[in-house]
Amino acid sequence: MKKIVYYIVSSIMIAGVFSCTKIDNYPEPKETLRGTVVDAATGEPVLTDQGSEGTRVRMWELSWTAATPENLDFFCMKEGVFQNTKVFKGNYNIRVDGAFIPIVRLNADGDTLANESKTLDISGVTETEFRVQPFLKLRWEGTPTVADGKITAKVVVERAVSPADFRAKIEPMGNYSDDFLNVTDVRLFVSQVPYVGYREWDNRYTTTIDYPGNSFEAQLGQPVTITTGNVIPSGRTVFIRAAARINYATEGIKRHNYNEAVRVDIP
Amino acid sequence: MKFKYYFLYIILGACFLNISCKKYLDVPPINIVNEADLFSNASGMQLYLSRMYSQMPFEDFKYSPARQFFDDWLVTPGTNEGSSLGRDAGEAMTSEGWARNGAYWTRAFNLLRDANNLIEEFPAYKSNFSDEEFNHFVGEAYFTRAMVFYALAKRYGGAPLATSLLRYPPEDGKPLEIARATEEETWNQVLADFDKAAELLSESSPVKGYVNKYVAWAFKSEAMLFAGSVAKYNTFTGFGQKTKVRVVGFDPANAAEASKKYFTEAYKAANIIIKSGKYSLYKKKGGPGDREGQYQNMVDMFFDASSPENIYTKDYKWPDLAHGYDSYNIPRQLMGGNGYSAGNCPTLDFVELFDGIEKNADGTIKVLDNNGKYLLFDNPTDIFANAEPRLRAYVIFPGDMFKGIVMDVRRGVYTGSVAGGIAPLRTVNGSTNYTIGGPQTYNQTDAYTETGAFAGNKSLFLSQNGTTHELVTLPDGSKMNGGGINGPFGTSDMTAAFTGFMVRKWLNPNMAQALVLEGRSEQSFILMRYAEVLLNAAEAAAELTLAGASSPDGDDLTTAAYEAIRSIRERAGAEPLVGISDIAGAQGLQVIRKERRKELAFEHKILWDIRRWRTQHSDMLNGFTQADGAYYRGLYPFYSSVAGKWFFDAGFEEARKRFRFTQLDYYFAIPQGEVNKSPVIDQQPGR
Repeated sequence: MKKIVYYIVSSIMIAGVFSCTKIDNYPEPKETLRGTVVDAATGEPVLTDQGSEGTRVRMWELSWTAATPENLDFFCMKEGVFQNTKVFKGNYNIRVDGAFIPIVRLNADGDTLANESKTLDISGVTETEFRVQPFLKLRWEGTPTVADGKITAKVVVERAVSPADFRAKIEPMGNYSDDFLNVTDVRLFVSQVPYVGYREWDNRYTTTIDYPGNSFEAQLGQPVTITTGNVIPSGRTVFIRAAARINYATEGIKRHNYNEAVRVDIP
Repeated sequence: MKFKYYFLYIILGACFLNISCKKYLDVPPINIVNEADLFSNASGMQLYLSRMYSQMPFEDFKYSPARQFFDDWLVTPGTNEGSSLGRDAGEAMTSEGWARNGAYWTRAFNLLRDANNLIEEFPAYKSNFSDEEFNHFVGEAYFTRAMVFYALAKRYGGAPLATSLLRYPPEDGKPLEIARATEEETWNQVLADFDKAAELLSESSPVKGYVNKYVAWAFKSEAMLFAGSVAKYNTFTGFGQKTKVRVVGFDPANAAEASKKYFTEAYKAANIIIKSGKYSLYKKKGGPGDREGQYQNMVDMFFDASSPENIYTKDYKWPDLAHGYDSYNIPRQLMGGNGYSAGNCPTLDFVELFDGIEKNADGTIKVLDNNGKYLLFDNPTDIFANAEPRLRAYVIFPGDMFKGIVMDVRRGVYTGSVAGGIAPLRTVNGSTNYTIGGPQTYNQTDAYTETGAFAGNKSLFLSQNGTTHELVTLPDGSKMNGGGINGPFGTSDMTAAFTGFMVRKWLNPNMAQALVLEGRSEQSFILMRYAEVLLNAAEAAAELTLAGASSPDGDDLTTAAYEAIRSIRERAGAEPLVGISDIAGAQGLQVIRKERRKELAFEHKILWDIRRWRTQHSDMLNGFTQADGAYYRGLYPFYSSVAGKWFFDAGFEEARKRFRFTQLDYYFAIPQGEVNKSPVIDQQPGR
C-alpha cells in the first residue's frame, strides 16, 4: 500500500519537473532580407546617411496574425543598400522612406493614393529592389583640394525628379506648397570615419550653406564651391561628403541626398 | 459506525448548500471606507479630492522634463528650455525615456477614472450637499479631466477620449478599448472640460489648495494658447496605422479656423481674469524708479503666500510633503550636506535677453573694447550695474550677494601684461577662435599652456576642481586661488557655476545652510500667476490681430496686448516700450514672446512655449539649429592680477552641452508596450 503511494507521488513529481521543459521549437530568425534602393531613372543606388535621417526600411510581418504588425525598422547603409540577416521566415510588407518621393502616399483623408511598397515571402536570402525618384542628385566636380588645412570642394546639385512630376505626385497628398521644391541647404560633411553624414560629422569643420526661399534655383546644375571651416591639423585623414535637401519632409524628417564619400589626406 | 459518518457528511454538506444561496456575507466591508462614506459630506470629499490632487499632472518642484511627474530628484527648471544648463540636466529632451515613474501616457488614466467616477457616481449623493458645494465638487472633476487631457495633448497630440466610466465586465456594446481621437477633438475636449469646470466651480477656493473659477480660466487660457499655436505653426501631421485617424496635427483645410477659435478662447479666458480685478502684479516692495524695490519684489513674490499675483500654487510642508529645489540648485559656495549644487546655471544667451547691459550690434554682451581687447572692471558686478532688476532677481551674477555673502565666481587669474590691453583668451597657437572649432576649455589656451605669444610665460592660472587650486601671489603679497569658490572649473568639476551664472529664482534666501538638503525645502511652487495671464492675453491678442480676427469683446486687441506687456515691464524695471507700435504686427509678436521667455523662465513654461511655437528645432542659436545640434554660451570672469581689475570672456560654455531636437520630437512616442497590447492604440506616424 505504502509502495503504491510512493510510486504515485514520485511519478507526479517527475511529470511535474519534465512538463516544464517544453522545447521552444519556433525556428530561429535566420532568413536574410537584402536589397537596394535605386534611382528609377538611372538605376544608380540612392546614396544616403546611416541613421534615422537617412533611408529607413520598415517591415511589417503580415504572417504573424496574433497581433497587428509592429514596425520593424532598420536603416540603409550609406551606399543605398540594406541587409537584415535576422528575419523570421514569413510574409512581410516592406517599405522604404528617404529623400525620394514617398512610395506610400496617402491623401488628406488618409486614403491610399499610391502604394509601391512590396509584400513578399522571406525565406533563405530574399533580394529585392526599390525603384524610387530621389529629390536631388549630387556629384563632385573635379577633385577636392586642400590648402592650409581647409578642404575646398566643388559640388553639382541637380534635381533627380522634375518639378512637374514632383507636383503631380505630392500635391494630391494635400497642403501642397511650391516652397517644397526649394533647395534649403548644401553641406560639406567632414568626419574622421568613412561613415560620414548627418549622424556622423565633426562640427568644427563641417560647413553648411543655407539658401533662403528659392535662391538656389539658378545654381542647380552649376558647381557650388564649398570650403570646410577651421583648420584641420596636418597629417589627419578625413572623409568628406556633400549633401543637399529640399524643403520637404518624408515621414516627418527633411532628409538629405548625398554623393559618395571621398578620403582626403591633409598634408 | 461508518454510516454514522456518511450521515454526518451529508448533513454538513447540506448546511453549506443552504448558506450558499443566501447573501448573508454579501455586505460592504465595514473596515474599508467606501464611496457612500466619502460622498456623504465635505470632509469625505476632501479625502476623495486629496487622492485626485496627489495624481494631478502639475509641473512643480516634483517635475522635470527628463523624469516627468512625481519625481523630485534633480529638479532644475529651466535646464531644458535654454534658460540654463545643469551638470545632470541640459538637453533638448526628446522623449520620456528617463521617467522612472513611467511615461505620462500610462499614468494619466488612473486619475481620469477618478474624475469620471466623480462625474457619474456623485450625483446620486446630491442631497448630502448644498447646490454650491455640489457644483463645486463636480467642477473639480471637470477641471481634473481638463488637466489630464491637456497634459496628454501637449505631449502626444490625439488621446483616447475616455469621458465616461468604463465598467468591467463591459456593458453591452461599450468597448473597453478606446482608440486615439484626432488632435483637434482632443483639444476641443480640453476646451469643453475647462469651460464646464469654470461654470461649476466656486468663485473662490473653499479650501486652500482647491481650485476655483479663476484657476480654471487661467489654465484654459494657457491650454488654448497651446492649441492655437499648434494649429497655426505645426506642419507635421499624419494618420494612425491601425485606425487611420489623424492622431497628430490638424487637417490643413481647417487648421487656420481652428487656430483662430482657440486663440479667441485663450484671449477671452485671460480677459475675464484681468477684468475681474481680483489679481494684480506683486509690487509690495517698490514701484517704478526704485530699482532695489523692483528687485526685491521679484525675489519676494515667490515666497509671499499673500501675494496678489498668485492664482494657484502647489504648497509643500516639511516633513509630510517636501522637495529638494534648494539642495540641487544652491550655489556651490553654500552647498548643503547632500553634496548637490549649481544644478541650474543660466546661460549667457538667456542673460542677453534682458535690458540694461551694454551690447554689441548683434545683441551679444559687450566684453571687448573697440580695439578687440577686454574691457576692464573694478568690480565683477560692474558689468551688470545697470541690468534690469528682474534679471538680478532671477540670476546670481558673479560677485553679487546671496544670503548676505558675496558669491565668488572666477574662472581664472590672468597674470600677463596689461599694457596695450588683454587680447581674447581663446587663442591656440596664435590663432584666436571663438567658433565651435576653438578651444573647448581654458586649459587649452596659449596663456595657460605657455605657447604662442605666451611661450615660457604662464599667464593664466586655473582651478581644476573645487579642491585643487593653482595659487597666484598677488602684487600685494596675498594669495589667490585660480578659480572662485563657485568655480567655474571647466569640465572636470561641474558642481560649479559652469556658465558663470547661478540661478536665484525660487532659492529660499532665508534657509540655513545646514537645512539645504534633499527633501527639506517647503516653498510653494506657483503653478499659475497673474503675469502669465497677462502674457497669455497679449499673445492671443497679437495672434488674433495677425489672423485678421475681430476682437472677441470689442476691446482694441493691440491696446490690450500693449497694456499687458507695459505693466509687466514696468514691474520688472525693464526699459519702457517706446509706444504701442512696438507691439504691432509680426514684430510685435516677437516682442511678446521675448517678454514671456524673460518673465516665466525657470517655471516649466518656456520649454512648452518653444515647442508650441514650433521654433525649438529651427531657431538659429549661435550658428546652429537644434535640428543640427546647438550649443549655448557662458560668461567667464577673470581677474587680472597686474591691473587689479576684472574682465569677462564670452563664448560657448565649456561643457558644450549639445541640444538636439528634430521636428518629429514635438510629439513624444507612445510607449511601445501600450501600442503592442492594444488593437486600437496607434503609435505616432513616422515613428
